Amino acid sequence: MNFHTNHRLLVAFAAFGYLGLTYLIAIGPAMSLQDTPPLPGAQVRSERAEAGRALYLAEGCGFCHTQFVRDLPMDQPYGRQSLAEDYALENPPLLGTQRTGPDLSDVGRRQPSKTWHLLHLYNPRAVVPQSVMPGYPWYFEEKAQATEREVTVPVPERFLAAPGNVVVAKQQALDLVEYLLALRQVELGL
Amino acid sequence: MVRSRIRDPSLQASTAADPAAVRVAFEFILSATFWLLIGTAAGLLIALKLNWPDFLDVSWLSFGRVRPIHTNTVFWGWSSMALVGAALYIVPRTSRTQLWSPALARISLWLWNAALALGLVTLAGGVTRGPQEYREWVWPVAVLFGAGLVATGVNLYQTVARRGIAEIYISNWYILGAFVWLTILFVTGYLPFYQNGLGNIVIQGYYMHTAVGMWFTMLSLGVAYYAIPRLLGRPIYSYALGVLGFWTNMLFYTVIGAHHFIFSPVQWWLQTTAILFSVGMMVPVWTGAGNLLLTFRGSRSAVQRSYALPFLLVGIAFYAIASMQGTMEAFRTANIYWHFTNFTIGHSHVAMYGFVAMVAWGVIYGLLPRLSGREPHPVAVGAHFWIAFIGFLVYVVSISIAGVLQGFSWVAGESFIASVAAAEPMWLWRTVGGSLMAASHLIFAWNLWVMRPRPQAREAPRLEVAEASA
Repeated sequence: MNFHTNHRLLVAFAAFGYLGLTYLIAIGPAMSLQDTPPLPGAQVRSERAEAGRALYLAEGCGFCHTQFVRDLPMDQPYGRQSLAEDYALENPPLLGTQRTGPDLSDVGRRQPSKTWHLLHLYNPRAVVPQSVMPGYPWYFEEKAQATEREVTVPVPERFLAAPGNVVVAKQQALDLVEYLLALRQVELGL
Repeated sequence: MVRSRIRDPSLQASTAADPAAVRVAFEFILSATFWLLIGTAAGLLIALKLNWPDFLDVSWLSFGRVRPIHTNTVFWGWSSMALVGAALYIVPRTSRTQLWSPALARISLWLWNAALALGLVTLAGGVTRGPQEYREWVWPVAVLFGAGLVATGVNLYQTVARRGIAEIYISNWYILGAFVWLTILFVTGYLPFYQNGLGNIVIQGYYMHTAVGMWFTMLSLGVAYYAIPRLLGRPIYSYALGVLGFWTNMLFYTVIGAHHFIFSPVQWWLQTTAILFSVGMMVPVWTGAGNLLLTFRGSRSAVQRSYALPFLLVGIAFYAIASMQGTMEAFRTANIYWHFTNFTIGHSHVAMYGFVAMVAWGVIYGLLPRLSGREPHPVAVGAHFWIAFIGFLVYVVSISIAGVLQGFSWVAGESFIASVAAAEPMWLWRTVGGSLMAASHLIFAWNLWVMRPRPQAREAPRLEVAEASA
């Protein structure tokens, strides 16, 4: 057995050693977690909220917003500690690794206003002047007059192209807000 | 460094390497540089967007779409292609043979270029697997990349298998290891059978961590184990330490991915094991970094005269610094202050820029003139080095301070927006550093073009050899 002169042995050992470790610390633990059932009382998301979640993924919201509350004092404003059960229906789960913006695990309860969310998505600086979040104006339309069925967003005049215009939410913006409002941690009833 | 460097008037293109292999290796490095410029532009754009959030607010240039473009382009485009380009020369050289198939290498190159281009377009269009770092690409893109990976791995394995000497040089351990491991981890990261719910997160920690540790680290060390002794004209300090580093890297690095999800509902034993093995990482890091730094010992004047060695020296030093930083971040107490903050961004740039990119540049500047017979202007290389190095330091120091300020703001229980306001001035400095880094990349692209191999420059000496032997 000589790794220095036998390339087959060297590569086989590296491959199987690594595969073994991969099973022990990745695939094995993943398998034992992946069948965790959801908490009793967990709501299945509406179709519209699912469409909103797809947009949340496409726009990369999860690069700045976690959905992962730790049992630490600094995380208390965001809700209770996250459990494996909270992610049971999530594919992929959106725990995240960066908090350039606040955690959103329970944002539907913390900020339940649909109007606030629409305005915030149109341009975050309309509601939080110091925010560095991108706006998503492509999910809205600015026009002279809204029809009766359209949802208008009370955008302050300084964000409009022409004074007197109105901003209406496209379906995507409404879906995204539907998803954000559906982000509510299941109460444990403890 | 620059003043005392004089061009080598006797420098001639190497005659030992197969011109077809040299050509394809250069094409890898050229493609890498193209993706470096694209990836840098993406990085600079998202840095600017944190300073001026309404700058260029069109959908396909928004922060959340450009961030994965930046990371994937510099990961799989720049860093991977640059190091593999170097490996395509180093593996045959150290095996005393020719590259098994330059044609297959060219096919791999275009599979990778196709993956990168398609990845760029899909991510910009919002077609993504979501924020799963470094595996955001949808599966058709991943299949293209994976095919190129396997093809290059087979090519290099067959080259080593046909080596002209009995021993497998240590560089080739690291390079072959990197290909075997990235293939396994890439497939593991994309197969869905164990990734429902939180299972996905266990895989995510493993995937993003070993992609750095088992691919970029191993490739960088592999090419450094050739370039540093070659440029210094002396053997590596200890061959045995290189072997120890290889196996301990596999044992420790593989196990520590879960330290990206400390305090999460992922198994507590797995998190604790990851933290303990993060401390164990000191073994391969100090055998590797120590071994290479000791190879440099007493070669001050050689480093001062060379334009390639300073890159390599800085690269190895930052390998040690990045790894120690990573170990510290894994501790639960430090994690409370640093996790979720920009400190992580600083850390990843210390690793991927201070270490990986610096090593790649050192190897390119060290080897390419020997292949093409054409040197870049020493002043231009010096400008690349200093502008990149200073820009990198400004970047890392400012973004790390931003991270610390965020962490302290959160621990103090301030409102969230206070942490944004605290980081804001540092984000400006980060853009300043990033702009310098970007400027240095343009100089590098120019230098690379000056070093390009030209067909006639290589073939003339070969004819003489043929005549002499006839």
